[in-house]
Amino acid sequence: MTALATDKAQSPRRRKPWGLRLAPYLFLLPNMAIFGAFTIWPAINGFNISLYSSSDGRRFRWEGLGNYERILTDNEFWGIALNTLLFAVGYLILSVSLGVLLAVLVNQQRRGRAFFRAAFFVPVLISPVVAGLVWNWMLERRGGLVNSFLALFGVEEVAWLIDQRLALLCVIGVGVWLQLGFYMLILLAGLQGIDPNVYEAAQIDGASRWRQFWSMTLPLLQPSVLVVVILSTIHGFQAFDFIFTLTGGGPVGATTLIVQYIYENGFVSPIRYGMATAGSVLLFLVVFTLTVINWILGRRREAA
Amino acid sequence: MTAPAPTNRQIRKQTPGRTWTTTGTRRVTATDALRVVILSTFVLLALIPVVWTLLGSFKTPAELAARPITILPENWGLDNYTDALGRFNFTVYLRNSVLVTVGATVLTLTINAMAAYGLAKYNFRGRNGLFLLTLATIMIPLQVILIPVYQVVASMGLVNTLWGLIIPAAATPTGVFILRQYMLGIPDELIEAARVDGSGEFRTFLRIVLPLCRPALAVVAILSVMWRWNDFLWPLVVAQSEGVYTLPVALARFNAEETVPFNLILAMSVVTIVPVILLFLVFQRQITTGIANTGIK
Repeated sequence: MTALATDKAQSPRRRKPWGLRLAPYLFLLPNMAIFGAFTIWPAINGFNISLYSSSDGRRFRWEGLGNYERILTDNEFWGIALNTLLFAVGYLILSVSLGVLLAVLVNQQRRGRAFFRAAFFVPVLISPVVAGLVWNWMLERRGGLVNSFLALFGVEEVAWLIDQRLALLCVIGVGVWLQLGFYMLILLAGLQGIDPNVYEAAQIDGASRWRQFWSMTLPLLQPSVLVVVILSTIHGFQAFDFIFTLTGGGPVGATTLIVQYIYENGFVSPIRYGMATAGSVLLFLVVFTLTVINWILGRRREAA
Repeated sequence: MTAPAPTNRQIRKQTPGRTWTTTGTRRVTATDALRVVILSTFVLLALIPVVWTLLGSFKTPAELAARPITILPENWGLDNYTDALGRFNFTVYLRNSVLVTVGATVLTLTINAMAAYGLAKYNFRGRNGLFLLTLATIMIPLQVILIPVYQVVASMGLVNTLWGLIIPAAATPTGVFILRQYMLGIPDELIEAARVDGSGEFRTFLRIVLPLCRPALAVVAILSVMWRWNDFLWPLVVAQSEGVYTLPVALARFNAEETVPFNLILAMSVVTIVPVILLFLVFQRQITTGIANTGIK
């Protein structure tokens, strides 16, 4: 008793009242509850479900790694994996290169810079579902806007969404159309953070514009480029909504990507839950690995 | 705080349009011309589909089918819009979209701001761990956990309800991140002073901290509205009966069934894209700086 009392008297810092100690947990509770129930628990449970199979989402049968075995020996799955990879690579390359091009040009533009920035951003605001169906309409073979325009130059009707290879290219193009303004904005912010004195020095040294771009702008822009590379990798592997209305995955599955595969196996009969969740886990592993690799490479180059 | 390095823009303001070496008026060079041509081409590519949709939404089915195509509609009557409103449950989809967007945004702002305050202004065990956990989940998009999340929602009986659309994605890591960064800048003395005056913790948060965070709250609100209004995959999975369709789900379903005339689909499309574009025009500055600063959408 006495020891406790003197202890208390000696300690200059009083214990915080219980209300103050409890407060942060109460502030965090609602967010963390939703977070836990709808993100963290499902993320853990996803691995678990991928070890079972079910055709109605109620009764489950233990499969072990059977789903993975089945999915990895499935030709349809490999076709979809290839489509996804082609899409993601094309999407990444176009997003980064066009993003940098537009950002540099907008940054050099003195007049109307705000207008260009806003105009490029408009597609980002468009509902992807609408973008898909509008582009489908514009790419119609007979009398679509694009072919009608090309006809002015004597180009024959192009089978944009009917030819399998062209369809995948169109899907990449529309995907880039939807997000380019967003990537450009990040890169533009990066460019505006570069100290202009660097350029003045280079001009005095007589470096050409092209040279300035390669040996100064790009290296200094590296952090923003890294953000865009990581984001467009993630976005590329997750593409779904605009494709749903643009091609629906056709022709003959030529533009069916992994998320559509997950959606259809999970929610469109015949339901194959095991395949859908195994596909999800594989997608997660691929995206996670690529993000980590991008990040490490980016860090290393930054350090060098 | 050290002063940040001057940016391009600030320096341009000091020396408008020229460096100390330039003399006389700047001439328009070939590079300038080329640049404007390239930029204008991309602007056309970005805007033509939007304008074409708008024009198409005023055309009759006969005009849409006409070959060669016509550019301007014959008359600018709102027939397609009133038709679309009258047929189907267009008003129901519109209402659902508005309810989900507004409800989800209010919920997101509330719980994200509370969590951000807890993380920014209290010292407690597990703080860093919780913050890192929040950030890490940016790497777990819905597409990857679609089926397990659906199971959680189904077990709560939320399938085919608007709550099922609103709640699951409300705890955005992006929102917590933006708000926390902003709240770190609020001086502790302010909160301490309120405490000394006998203000309760929640009251301090509500009356003192939230009003100071208005710019950050605006950014999160705008982002949330943009995400929710255009959201598709999750509503597609949860809204299984027509009564809970949102606009994008209704559009995608009708478009796939090909039972609805395309002129009405176009009118619905315009109604879907116009609110977000208006929002952008009004809050352009907040949106662009918000995205540039966080790099997350």
